[in-house]
Amino acid sequence: MIARPMQFCSICQKAPATIVLMDLNGGSVSSQQHLCSPCAENLGVVQPKAGPVKMSPELLEDLLGAVQSKTARGRRDPACPGCGLTMQQFKNTGRLGCPRCYESFRDDLVPLLRRVHESSQHRGRLPGGTQPVTGAPVQDLVDLRKRLDDAVRGEHYEAAAQLRDELRQAEKGSGSSES
Amino acid sequence: MSKKRRGEPPPEFHTGEWLKGSGADAEIAICTRVRLARNLDGFHFAPVQEPNQARELTDFIVQRLQQPGLPENLVVVELQNLEELERTVLVERHLISRDLANSKKARSVAINQDESVALMVNEEDHLRMQVFQSGLSTEAAWKRAEAFDEALMQRLPLAWSEEFGFLTSCPTNTGTGMRLSVMLHLPGLVWADEILKATNTAQKIHLAVRGLYGEGSKALGDFYQVSNQVTLGRTEQQLQSDVQLAVSRIVQWEREVRDALLRGSSRPRTLDRVHRALGTLERAQILSSEEALGCLSALRFGVHHGLVDGFDIPSLNKALLLSQPAHLQRFTQERLDPEERDQRRAKLLREVLGCEP
Repeated sequence: MIARPMQFCSICQKAPATIVLMDLNGGSVSSQQHLCSPCAENLGVVQPKAGPVKMSPELLEDLLGAVQSKTARGRRDPACPGCGLTMQQFKNTGRLGCPRCYESFRDDLVPLLRRVHESSQHRGRLPGGTQPVTGAPVQDLVDLRKRLDDAVRGEHYEAAAQLRDELRQAEKGSGSSES
Repeated sequence: MSKKRRGEPPPEFHTGEWLKGSGADAEIAICTRVRLARNLDGFHFAPVQEPNQARELTDFIVQRLQQPGLPENLVVVELQNLEELERTVLVERHLISRDLANSKKARSVAINQDESVALMVNEEDHLRMQVFQSGLSTEAAWKRAEAFDEALMQRLPLAWSEEFGFLTSCPTNTGTGMRLSVMLHLPGLVWADEILKATNTAQKIHLAVRGLYGEGSKALGDFYQVSNQVTLGRTEQQLQSDVQLAVSRIVQWEREVRDALLRGSSRPRTLDRVHRALGTLERAQILSSEEALGCLSALRFGVHHGLVDGFDIPSLNKALLLSQPAHLQRFTQERLDPEERDQRRAKLLREVLGCEP
C-alpha cells in the first residue's frame, strides 16, 4: 500500500515495471531488475496469466488457421442458413449466430472444440430425459473414429497412428462387434 | 414468481449469499458459484440479434419464468428501467455481469430473495443462470443449479444437440455450459510469494485463475476466483469433483502457508501487516477502493487468526461490499466524484467497523 515512485521496465524502457526480479545472496538482495509483465513473460520469469478462454480474433485465427486454407482452396465463405452468419464473421467476433451454426459450420467447429476442450463430444446431461453418455464405450468409439478420420484427412499421420491404436484398444475393451 | 418490479431499487442492505461467511472452509473459500449458459431454439444469438428480437426474447423468457412451479421465487428486474448506479450495485453483488449492465438491448435479471439465484436474460447467451452457495460447496451448488435447470427445460425450448450438448454463442462454453467457480481469499499465498506457483499449478490442470475485484487479471485484496476452463467432453459431476478437489488442495496450501506465517521469525512481520492495515483503516482520511480492499484483506486474516480483537466477520464482509464505488454511493445516498468517494470511503469504513478513534 506504500506508493513508490514509478519505475520503468529496464528492458523495453517504455512500460511501467510491475515485477521486480531480485537475486538473493546470503539473505540480502544482491541485484534487482525492474520489468514490465510482457518483458517478464518473454524472459520466461513469469507465466502469462490465463483467465477463462475468451475468443479473440487472434486466438481464432490461430485455431482456425487450417480451416482458412481449406476455405481458400475450395469453398467460398459459407453462411449459416439459420441466421446468415458467415465463417468470416464468426472468426471476427468469436461468437456464433444461432443454434444452427453448430451444424452449418460443424466441420470447422469440431477441430476448434477439440483444441479448446480436448473433446468434441458432449457427455453431460441433456433435456427430455435423454441419458447422458457418461463414458459410454460406444460413444468413445464414435469419437475416436471421428478423430482418426480427421487426422487422416488432415494428414497428421503420427496422431492418426496413435488414434488407430487407441481405437483398437477401445474396441477390444468394449467387446464391440462393430467393424 | 412474485410481482414484477419495474425500476425499483434492489432490496436494502444485506451482503447476499456470497458474503454470508458460512459453509465449509468459509474463511478461505468465500463462495461457490455455478453458472449455466442456455439458449433458446428459434432465436438468434446476441451477435446477429435485432432490437425487436431482443425485446421479444426477453419478454418470452420472463413470461415463462413467471409460470408457477419454479424451485425458487424470483423477482424480475428490467434493467432498462434501472439507473446506471443501481445496475452497478447489481454488478458489485455479482448478480449480473458488467456486459449485461452496460448492454443497450432489452434485458432482465431474475433474482431470488436471498440473492443465491440470479438468472440473466439476454446476456451473451439467452439465459445465464447463477447459483451461489456460501463456502466451498460445489456439490450442493450444482444440485441446486440442476434442479433449477430441470425446471427451465420444462418451460423453455432449449437449444441442444446430442453431439455438442447445450449450444452457446461462444464455443468455449458449449456442452455442459457450466462454469463452476470458487471465490478464494488467499492472503497467505500472496504474502508468502507462493501465489504464482499456486495459480500456475491450477492452470496446468485446466483451471482458470483470476482476480475477483478489479479489471483484467490484477487481483485486488488477495481475492481470487478459480474456475473450470473446459465445459465439453466431461459430465457436470466430473467437472464438479475436479474443481472441488483442486480447490480443496489450494485451501490446504493456504492453511499451511498461514501456519508458517504465524510462527517463529515470520510472526512479527505478519502481525505488522495486520496492525498496519488496521492503523490505516482507523486513521486514513482518503482511501481508494484498492487500498481499502488490501487493508480489509489483512484485517480479515488478522481477525480470523485472533491477532486483533473487537471485529466480527459480518461487519468486515459488509465493509468489503461497501468499499466498492456503487455501494458506497448508494449506501450514503450521495453522488460523489472519485476524490470525494475516497474521503467518504475512509469515513464510512470507520463507522462500519466501529473503529472511530
